[in-house]
Amino acid sequence: MKRLIRIYKPFTRAGLLEMVAYRVNFIFFLLGEIMKCFVMFFVWKAVFDSSVEPTLHGFTYDNMVVYIFITFLSGYITYSDGSYVVGKEILDGSIAMRMIKPVNFDMCFLFQELGGKILQLLIVFLPITVGVEAYRWIANGVFMMNIPMFFVYFLSLLLAYGINFFFNVIYGFLAFYLKNLWGTDIIKGVIVGFLSGATVPLAFMGAFGEAIGFLPFASLSYTPVMIYMGMYSAGEIIFYMGLQIVWLLVFAVTSRLVLNSAMKRLVVHGG
Amino acid sequence: MFRYMRLHKIFIKQDLKKLMEYKVDFLLGAVGFLLEQAVQIFCLGIIFASIPALVYRENGVVQDSWIFNEVLFIYGFSLIPKGIDHLFFDNLWGLGYWIVDKGDFDKYLTRPVYSWFYVLCEKFCVDALGEIIVGVALIIYSTLTMPMEVASAINWWRVLPVLAVMPFCIMIFTSVKTATAAISFWTKRSGHITHMCYMTNDFAKYPAKIYNVFVKTVITYILPFALTAYYPAIFILRGESWWSLPVTVLVSVVLFAVSQFIWNKGISSYESAGS
Repeated sequence: MKRLIRIYKPFTRAGLLEMVAYRVNFIFFLLGEIMKCFVMFFVWKAVFDSSVEPTLHGFTYDNMVVYIFITFLSGYITYSDGSYVVGKEILDGSIAMRMIKPVNFDMCFLFQELGGKILQLLIVFLPITVGVEAYRWIANGVFMMNIPMFFVYFLSLLLAYGINFFFNVIYGFLAFYLKNLWGTDIIKGVIVGFLSGATVPLAFMGAFGEAIGFLPFASLSYTPVMIYMGMYSAGEIIFYMGLQIVWLLVFAVTSRLVLNSAMKRLVVHGG
Repeated sequence: MFRYMRLHKIFIKQDLKKLMEYKVDFLLGAVGFLLEQAVQIFCLGIIFASIPALVYRENGVVQDSWIFNEVLFIYGFSLIPKGIDHLFFDNLWGLGYWIVDKGDFDKYLTRPVYSWFYVLCEKFCVDALGEIIVGVALIIYSTLTMPMEVASAINWWRVLPVLAVMPFCIMIFTSVKTATAAISFWTKRSGHITHMCYMTNDFAKYPAKIYNVFVKTVITYILPFALTAYYPAIFILRGESWWSLPVTVLVSVVLFAVSQFIWNKGISSYESAGS
């Protein structure tokens, strides 16, 4: 473990520095994305204003606000673009340079991305959670944050990131064979967004939503968000986090297999 | 003017040839886009399944309400000017993201046409046809399935003035992109600023009355995307807010002038990034 950290620490540092270098781009991009949350914030407000009942499918309006922002946050923090890096490095041949070094291919990306995540935790995660909790505090008059539950949420978030990371490595290789990242990227984004409950909570979709809950996509954001909001009982938390671990293992093993078979067939001209 | 139109036609032809070359790319892009819209509309349907109509209240009193069909109509309408701008003027995105950054902008300055025009017409983005088709389909579907009392409020003659204003709606999109893409002449990269401004467009897909004063002001006058979607759509549906049509013309002309000013300022202080 100590050796692992010693080897990959420079990658983390590089990722962090890269993030710092492009901080302006990243902040504007973030502001644009948050805009979507505010659109949904107003739409849901109007929807709850229109409803005769104060709760819809077990969600109050305050729940919904928390859901919108924490879903966005979880999606943002667990975002992984390994697929782009893998595809790009194969195309321009720089992957060869990585293969001749005594480091693991996917571990390099993982630790490099984690470097960027450190900064994101500070400038995105912290303000949004503080904002959401402040909103809940003002709206309800009581401090609603459950500290131990927050740690469980964070743990679940880490699992979600792992799943997403390996999923994207696999996808990156597939997209490389398909030779079209842009088109398949939109398709992937839409499917993942929908099935992970990013647009509408799965609870709104009835039995269909419950079935979707078992797919790996729900593990990406729905599970951690539900834990954060305290919508899951202890039994449900154990069950869904167990499911997350299962999916993490499935994707980690699959990505290894894909990686190995791709390496055997890889041809680099020049580079 | 005619010379520019002829040039644009040649560029479009060129891009159509490119399209024939990369059929799968186009297909995947189109499928992705259609899927995206389908999911969005499905989600809207889910949201609306639990309420009879979207209601706007002030101090608890119902001021206005929209049924699902009307929201679909507005949503569909919003896709049309956006789609047309996307179809013809998509290249401005590239400017802010990589063209200036990689030093590729120099070529636009060496040709005997206005640089802005050359950037605009270089790319013809057929993928946008999906947007326009979905928009028209949504409008048709939502009007056909409307209950009688809502449908009878529509006066199809009102489509004519809206069509007349349509070029100005498109100009709003193009101007916002131009102004923000031109920032890259100073900073080398500004795609993320364009992205941020463009995202406000999401607000315009829903009735503007549900927002607070701040958002409403921004989407009506500053990044006036509501003028391209909610206002003209509700004008067709109910004859409401006719004032928005002249305002659209005025605001879009001002915005266009500002964007041209920024562009030309940017060109004069542009320094190549490449070698």
